[in-house]
Amino acid sequence: MNVRFASLALLAAALAVGCGPPKVSFVRYTTVAHKIAQDQMGQPEFSSEQWRDIDLTMAMLFGTPDNPEIPALEGGEVGQMMSLSRLKMAAGPVGSDEQGNPRGLYREHCAHCHGITGDGAGPTAVFLNPYPRDYRLGLFKFKSTPDKLRPTHEDLKKTVLEGIPGTAMPSFKLLPDVEVEALVDYVKYLSLRGEVERELLMRTSQLTEGRLMTVVAKAPASGEKAAGKAATPEEAAQQAQLDAVREAVKDIAGRWKSAKSAEVPARPEMDEQKLAASVARGRDLFYGTIANCIKCHGDSALGDGVTNDYEDWVKDLYDPSKEPKAAREYLARGMLPPRNARPRNLRLGVFRGGHRPLDIYWRLTNGIAGTPMPKVLMKPEGDPNAKGLVPSDVWDLVNYVQSLAYEPINNPLAAASEAENLRITP
Amino acid sequence: MGRFWSILFLMVPVFGVGVFVWAMADWWPMRGHWLPENINAHGGVIDSLFLFILILTGVIFVITSLALFWFLWKYDAAKNAQPVTFTHGSHTLEVVWSILPAATLVFIAIYQMDAWADAKMRRPTLPSGELKPPLAEITGRQFEWRIRYAGPDGKIHTPDDIELGNDLHVPVHEEIVLSIKSQDVLHSFFLPNLRVKQDVVPGMKQYVWFQPNKTGVYDIVCAELCGWGHYKMRGRLTVEPRAKFEVWLAEQAKAQDQSEYPPKAPGAGTANTTAGAAAGLQGTVAAAP
Repeated sequence: MNVRFASLALLAAALAVGCGPPKVSFVRYTTVAHKIAQDQMGQPEFSSEQWRDIDLTMAMLFGTPDNPEIPALEGGEVGQMMSLSRLKMAAGPVGSDEQGNPRGLYREHCAHCHGITGDGAGPTAVFLNPYPRDYRLGLFKFKSTPDKLRPTHEDLKKTVLEGIPGTAMPSFKLLPDVEVEALVDYVKYLSLRGEVERELLMRTSQLTEGRLMTVVAKAPASGEKAAGKAATPEEAAQQAQLDAVREAVKDIAGRWKSAKSAEVPARPEMDEQKLAASVARGRDLFYGTIANCIKCHGDSALGDGVTNDYEDWVKDLYDPSKEPKAAREYLARGMLPPRNARPRNLRLGVFRGGHRPLDIYWRLTNGIAGTPMPKVLMKPEGDPNAKGLVPSDVWDLVNYVQSLAYEPINNPLAAASEAENLRITP
Repeated sequence: MGRFWSILFLMVPVFGVGVFVWAMADWWPMRGHWLPENINAHGGVIDSLFLFILILTGVIFVITSLALFWFLWKYDAAKNAQPVTFTHGSHTLEVVWSILPAATLVFIAIYQMDAWADAKMRRPTLPSGELKPPLAEITGRQFEWRIRYAGPDGKIHTPDDIELGNDLHVPVHEEIVLSIKSQDVLHSFFLPNLRVKQDVVPGMKQYVWFQPNKTGVYDIVCAELCGWGHYKMRGRLTVEPRAKFEVWLAEQAKAQDQSEYPPKAPGAGTANTTAGAAAGLQGTVAAAP
């Protein structure tokens, strides 16, 4: 009888607890917080009041993983960048709404690697090489915009659709277009959110001691302040801070808005002979001093040149070459074990950012944001004597890089006989 | 109580056979649970082998289940006053039930040999007698199928290859040869509608072949647990007339060769085609039985 009673009690307890999905929330940007607290305030951590303050402000601006919000700004900067209905489709637990529209797409397809917060540290992340992208830095590798500028919507969409060959990122080509759009918007949302969190941490660290950023519960919406009501100096100061935060969000959103794909002049049409000449010229450039590709990609283009550099997500926190022991502090706060940035082995014929000539041209002229890969030095217009490349030189380089995979030296398949699973000749 | 158990065990063959009959008849709630439509000209032999073995094992299953029921019923302790007697067994019976299954298994092994050779060894040939080269190379990786068409020169791993992900198109009514390999772990390339399934082993290059005889959009799935994302390792097979296939392939080749931005001809991008095809896929899945 006792056993029955005990098992009944256990069942009741299990029912009371429920077996639904666990409550998820965004995680704090602890690594950067540690760095900022150390650099700006000379202490290892932000205080719990300061964190509460930042959490509340972040929740006010961006909502929660189940219920995302778009920061309400005058001018609708962020509203132009993403749509709330799409965000809601990507956010929340996996399932569908009453109309059968999907929900929780991000958690279904992305979160296990990229994390709920988009910190690139989901449960499977540590097993992957390269690690999944940490969106919070706002840096994306494979895009059409130069330098560290934000990618365009189309760039992110291409990555989701095509995947990134040579990495763990698969293709999501078979998802309906609306779902891909929702995911792209959500990636932008998480990226924006991460950058804003960093900004808030910085601002909080610069306040005089004991003061908080905002007390969200009391702060009126920014539109009401013009009413000229007698506000206490404290309230006015809070309002000013809040407005400053909104301005900062606007600035960060503006970076996304202003991102434009770099133009690429058409590749010169070539017959076989001209192509061979172009490849030869590209080879010279590859080994030359201006493009200097061999420095990192190595004499043999196997990616065995400089192999001890790091990507920005490490260098952003500490200098791994000068103070490698600092890694411990960040590892304890959730950083993935740092790894060297490996220059690409160009002989595999696998191009992570896409294998179109256009993509390779962009990689060369834009660089790869967040990695040691710089952009090639282009000759300034109207100065024929300056050092640098012209577009036709870049096309030569593209042709050379594209030809590398097919050089006989690294194509043992050509020599292999066709003997595979054939046993009987009819 | 004894009668209860014998009836319960009688339910096993009744239910077991019922489920199959229900599924074959395509009745609710087993609708769409029987074999998907076969669109491979060589798929019939696989289906008939499957049915042959199913019926053979089904008959034996029913006979043994009924025997079990009969014993339960007859020797129910509640109805039998007689004590249990021990028997040393029957030599003849043991010989019979060893030889009969052995002979059956040998028969199946010989009976299916030709089908196996057709599916795994006798690769289609060109009119010249040479082995037909693969149309495309499929590389399984966690968790997608990367597809590499041979391009105009008919050879894979040359500069004119066309590389795609998860989206395989093949011409209808032709012998299609695909080369399959794995980039990381064990996968299994499975085309349910074509009755083609081949484990993809890292380090091995294998070939599969089939002859689709119906146009449409079908599934490519992974049939070997390959990691946490196994369930979403899905591709799309589009079977279409030769002319349409060539137009599509030329389009892909053109898109892959894009070397100008902004592109010269607007509207030639791949995004629209992808969305349209995805919508088409949704339709097919919904309409499938």
